[in-house]
Amino acid sequence: MYDFIGKRFPRHDGFIKAAGLAEFTFDVEVPGMLYGRIFKSPYAFAKVGRIDTSLAESMGAVVLTPDDVPDVLFNPRLVSIEEDTFKDWRVLTKTPRYVGEPIAAVAAPTEDSAQRALEALRVEFEEVYEPILDPFEATSPGARQIHARIMRGRRWVEVRSNVGAELRYSEGDLEAEERRSSVIVDRRFHVPRRYHAQLEPKGAVCKIEPDGTLTAWTTTQTIHNTKIMISQVYGIPMNRIDVRKVPIGGGFGSGIHTNLVTLIAVGLCLKAGRPVKLVLTREDDMVHDHVSFEFYMRIRAGATREGEITFGEMENTVDMGAHQVQAYPLLGASLGWFVSLYKWRALRYYGRAVYTNKVPSCAIRGYGAPEVTWAVETVVDEMAEELKMDPVEFRLKNYRGRGEIFWGQGPTVRSVIRSDGVPELMAKCSELIEWKKRGDPKSKTGRFRRGIGVGRGFHTSGAGGPLSGAVIDYSGAIVKLNEDGTVDYITALQDHGGGTLDAHAKIIAEELKVPPSRIRIVWSGTATTVYDVCTHASRGVFVGGEAARRAAAEVRRKILEYAARMLDAVNPEALRVTYDKELDDAVIFVEGAPEKRISLGEVARIAWQRNWGSISASVSYRATVAPPSFTVYFVEVEVDTETGVVRPIRVVAGADVGTVISPELAAGQLHGGFAIGWSWATGDEVVYLRDGTPAHRLSMTDYKIPTVLDLPDDENFTVVFASTHEPFGPFGAKGLGESASNPVVAAVANAIYNAIGVRFYEIPITPERILRALKGGG
Amino acid sequence: MLSINLINTYRIPQTFEYYRPRSLREALELLNAIENAKVIAGGTDLVVDLKYRRVTPRALVDVSGLSELKFVKAGDSYVEIGSATTIQELAENGAVRRYLPLLAEAAELFGSWQIRNLATIGGNLCNASPAADTAPPLLAHDAELELASLSGSRVVPLAKFFAGPKKTVLERGEILRSVRVPVHRRRAGWSFIKVARTSFDLAKVSVAVLLSLDGNTVADVRIALGSVAPTPVRARTAEKHITGASFEEAVALAPELVAREIAPIDDVRSTARYRLEVAKTVVRDAMRRAYERFFRVGVEV
Repeated sequence: MYDFIGKRFPRHDGFIKAAGLAEFTFDVEVPGMLYGRIFKSPYAFAKVGRIDTSLAESMGAVVLTPDDVPDVLFNPRLVSIEEDTFKDWRVLTKTPRYVGEPIAAVAAPTEDSAQRALEALRVEFEEVYEPILDPFEATSPGARQIHARIMRGRRWVEVRSNVGAELRYSEGDLEAEERRSSVIVDRRFHVPRRYHAQLEPKGAVCKIEPDGTLTAWTTTQTIHNTKIMISQVYGIPMNRIDVRKVPIGGGFGSGIHTNLVTLIAVGLCLKAGRPVKLVLTREDDMVHDHVSFEFYMRIRAGATREGEITFGEMENTVDMGAHQVQAYPLLGASLGWFVSLYKWRALRYYGRAVYTNKVPSCAIRGYGAPEVTWAVETVVDEMAEELKMDPVEFRLKNYRGRGEIFWGQGPTVRSVIRSDGVPELMAKCSELIEWKKRGDPKSKTGRFRRGIGVGRGFHTSGAGGPLSGAVIDYSGAIVKLNEDGTVDYITALQDHGGGTLDAHAKIIAEELKVPPSRIRIVWSGTATTVYDVCTHASRGVFVGGEAARRAAAEVRRKILEYAARMLDAVNPEALRVTYDKELDDAVIFVEGAPEKRISLGEVARIAWQRNWGSISASVSYRATVAPPSFTVYFVEVEVDTETGVVRPIRVVAGADVGTVISPELAAGQLHGGFAIGWSWATGDEVVYLRDGTPAHRLSMTDYKIPTVLDLPDDENFTVVFASTHEPFGPFGAKGLGESASNPVVAAVANAIYNAIGVRFYEIPITPERILRALKGGG
Repeated sequence: MLSINLINTYRIPQTFEYYRPRSLREALELLNAIENAKVIAGGTDLVVDLKYRRVTPRALVDVSGLSELKFVKAGDSYVEIGSATTIQELAENGAVRRYLPLLAEAAELFGSWQIRNLATIGGNLCNASPAADTAPPLLAHDAELELASLSGSRVVPLAKFFAGPKKTVLERGEILRSVRVPVHRRRAGWSFIKVARTSFDLAKVSVAVLLSLDGNTVADVRIALGSVAPTPVRARTAEKHITGASFEEAVALAPELVAREIAPIDDVRSTARYRLEVAKTVVRDAMRRAYERFFRVGVEV
């Protein structure tokens, strides 16, 4: 029924990326450009005294110190409304609070001279404190305060016991629900810090234009928030800043906030009066720039003998490191995922985010959902087992589905679920993996034991809703018809590499009936686009795609008006539009009158020649719902009980994303989502030495993520899409990015349990931990 | 510990002279003439060390282009491999695959495609990492190294070449010219097993086994391990003990005996306890696989 949606087309950036022609931030060269380097704190908690810049300056370098940057507190993540934004950052600090915190920066004409100038800086440390690395130590009485006071919005708040943010919530009569429960499971879970391992390290290039405006190219997931951030810190009017969109090598949440590297590059550029490139090395990026949050969760939940879930209680202590990249909304989002997983008749939640002297944590794919889903899906599995119910049936009986309220991104983002493919996916996927034959762990013997596990989850599609709430979420799109009928699509929305903008092109193509090859996705900037909040929250297709569809629909309406005049139709409603394969263009015609037809190319040409004016549309769109895209993973693993090594044998990944716009790219998201989830479940962990130095100092040699050889091949990875239609999505589509990974850890952990009968409450479930559990050694 | 501000992996943040000699002789002359010169071949270890300033040479002498050092020769009683032969060349070489399948197996499991095409056998040995993948197979084969210098050359058994982590007995002015692997024309089964976090990682534990049987009796066995001691090691006591035993007896005894000859440590990749436990399992696995291969596809080594 669709001409383009659901069909396969070459990606607009496929060739240039495969050929190495795409220009990433690192590739941007500006004449006269200086190269920057950051002086990072070698101490996890210290006070800086004098900074002697004379030697570096005598070498011809420009040096930026804390005295050279505005004394402005900020939070680099601008997705929340201002009253809920916690500010404790400075561009450069005199009180470093983690190993790697930027204290100063240099810029010099070559990369080598910049490095030499960096080494010529003399930074005195007046005091070096014992770092606090553990959140429970940080909250214990007498612990040194990492921050004394911070700002929430525009007012100062005192920090007590190093707790930077807190959230409490309750609903229903928990004690009553507990009393009628015949099964109660109470467990504590730990998820460590993990590195994003995005392909491209963070960087920025800045240039002052002849008219004094600032142009910046940077590795961001949001060009407009980067513009606002630069404006807030440096006091530059927003129309004097143009943040350009360049391809990025992934993000996984590490570029939702404006990375410090961008703000430092701006400072260097302003001070030097010359263009500056500042790009982190892989080591700078992975050892000192960003990691995920660390979670210590306690889940208590109950169910009746009949298998009805009664109550759920969750405590959530989040180790957020030395600064806030908005841990407060994370506490809310974690609660939201918890609430939305099952129909708790009563619930209680307490979340707190604690400062420690470690690299500040930021969002990672799923924003708390993989962690909460793993914990809840473990508890749910255990309850089903105690009740002697099939875990799949137990889930189907208790999950939140159609008609229920869904919390898209915390307490203020609520809407009603209208599309729900869970029953269909559970049925199809469990059959494909032969769920009924998985066997009981007690019956499994021998060295190599196989097990099958299920994990069910979801992610939101954006953070929209009927009420404004605490999260900023809207998007924009410009669609413009050229004089030959080709189309320019201009958007601020960033494509992380997953093909989001190719999906948009298909959506526009479907609306206009022109092939995607005639639509150009324009690389633009903040000066030439309307606001889009960010590519995060799996909103790219659902929100951004709908903005594109609405702009295309407006263009279509105008095309029909012009065509009606050209074809002498009574009015535009009399016209039909179709894709003409031979012309490879849209054709507008009057039904039943074969001579009354005209191609879009002709409409555009005639409108130009007759001075009728250009056809274009600019749309700003706020979604009033944030529907969940459900995912269901069934994973079969094999555990070597002698070495503790776990191998993935088979994966069946089910996804309810509404209409599937690009099946092969959507399947790719599921493969990638599994890979990252597998990595979290079995390997990822950032560990710190006692002095606060990350133990993986040698970067990719020390810190490993799975490769394609460690993952199931195509034959053993089956993707199933539900046949759903989301009424609010563009052509029925929902989001996918994060739901593709959210239930993976849960499914893998449950599969390991099914293989060897051991539950792990701490990830990663490494071979060392498995062996220790099985043999007491390791 | 090195200050974090001295590390910049986009650059090699130090200066040195760089020479690309046209012959081994010229390379040796350079090494002799320049104090604190280092030999570079594939650079997969050395460049990382340079970036982290773990080494600060005055000069690098690049031998990767020397055809004199890039060869595999199969003689009557040995296979000789030039030190600048890349790991990928080893993995693909007909003579290596035929006579030294144990080494070929290790070469296939070595790093990634990119690394295998740069790294050389000589560099892997001279870097003297306890985790060097080519070391256990070559130890099992009793390989010898020919060390060239201006005053001639000397032959050192590989077992005496490693002096500690990242340390060898190479003296100033010496270059590893070739690796000679004796071939006894005795039927053997082989197995190299590596346990690592991912498929592109250094070993947590690696084990190489060469096994010859007389009926079901162990006639000759060599067991070498990586990543479980300060250097790659042969488990000679265990070997001696199980020679002459039935295979089943040998496989039952070997793990505990081997465990007494290793001294693993904790590091970022694993723990000492895990390594000790898993080394035992992997010794057993490698022996069993070697046993199967002895009967199925046994080669003359």
